[in-house]
Amino acid sequence: MSSSLRMAGLLGQATRAIAVPESSQSHRLLPLLRTTSRSQCRAYSQAQRPRCNQNIKSALELRNNFSTSASYARAKTMGQLKQRNSTGPFSWKAALLFVLTGAGMMIYFRVEKARLERKRIAEMSKGVGKPKVGGPFTLKDLDGKEFTAEDLKGKYSFVYFGFTHCPDICPDELDKMAEIIDKVREVTKDDKLFLPVFITCDPARDSPEVLREYLKEFHPGIIGLTGTYEQVKNVCKQYRVYFSTPRDVKAGEDYLVDHSIYFYLMDPDNDFVECIGRQDTPESASKVILEHINDWKREGKPLKLE
Amino acid sequence: MGWLPWSSGAEPNKASDGGRIAPDRTSRKRCWEGRDLFFACLDRNDILDGIKDDKEARRKCAKEVEEFEAACSATWVKYFKEKRVMEYNRDQTIARIKKEDAATVQELKSQGRSTN
Repeated sequence: MSSSLRMAGLLGQATRAIAVPESSQSHRLLPLLRTTSRSQCRAYSQAQRPRCNQNIKSALELRNNFSTSASYARAKTMGQLKQRNSTGPFSWKAALLFVLTGAGMMIYFRVEKARLERKRIAEMSKGVGKPKVGGPFTLKDLDGKEFTAEDLKGKYSFVYFGFTHCPDICPDELDKMAEIIDKVREVTKDDKLFLPVFITCDPARDSPEVLREYLKEFHPGIIGLTGTYEQVKNVCKQYRVYFSTPRDVKAGEDYLVDHSIYFYLMDPDNDFVECIGRQDTPESASKVILEHINDWKREGKPLKLE
Repeated sequence: MGWLPWSSGAEPNKASDGGRIAPDRTSRKRCWEGRDLFFACLDRNDILDGIKDDKEARRKCAKEVEEFEAACSATWVKYFKEKRVMEYNRDQTIARIKKEDAATVQELKSQGRSTN
């Protein structure tokens, strides 16, 4: 009892801020013990006592404006320490920070994962050494000028094989191609970056004039290419396109050509990147293409846009 | 066969540089319309294969087949007729596989229930 009395006296000095009737010892003792019952001052040495008292005083003052938000500032008082202990390191600010950081990381990792996945596909398509799809070829453009695989370099090219006497699939796909061209160019704002190419599998019937008239109906930006039977056969082989055009066609003979119906997206190194097929919509296809173009730009790889 | 309005003369669909002019958007559309009308007629008469059942198709859909053949080249006519059969078989196969899958799932479910 003597120790608690001593402490009470000590506290009495320090807590003049709260009005304590000084009438009797017991009266003075009880409320004080209640407010500081958990205080660890008892263990303090004589030298530390004054500071401790100070702390208790502040703690008592703080009780009046208690708030649930923990302060980030360094705890100055016993009360702040206690308060922090009671809620732990958590507060709405900490929770918000936690959630925002988490969401940020999640978005970042998703984006990165998708980018790496595309990169993996692009790298995989490049193969080791020789690309699996695409390769050197020599054809003629619609002005009769030579057009080789070199002319595709430095741009993303979008290659389609077909023939003008195609009953239904090619026209559908070319309408889709036109939409894709507009969508991609609308975003890249550059007509030179994305190069749509139509290579005929049927050079006997598809002369430059025929091809020009045909492609004009779909999109003026499509580059039509034709060549000799051997040249076309070679480019189809390079692009792994099934080629079934009859070699010797009688004048006026009507026939169909079986051919692959995929679009090939080739990167500026002229390596195959991705196939766009019948299942793709103009929206999904242009999204895929733009993602590849953006990846390429972000990696700072060269483009040739003259 | 004279399947396009400008193809009645001797090789009039020949381009000046030796190519052969392909049907343009308008004639393609006309051909597809002719095809759809003909196939609708086949559907009404329960005919699937316009090549195998050519005679019956010509008898029952005389007007439609005439218009179809007038609007499309012979190879296209053949192609579309074959495609119709191919697509029908494909859809049948898909439907069959789906049904079998559903049956298998049902069976596995009932087995699971009885053993539990």
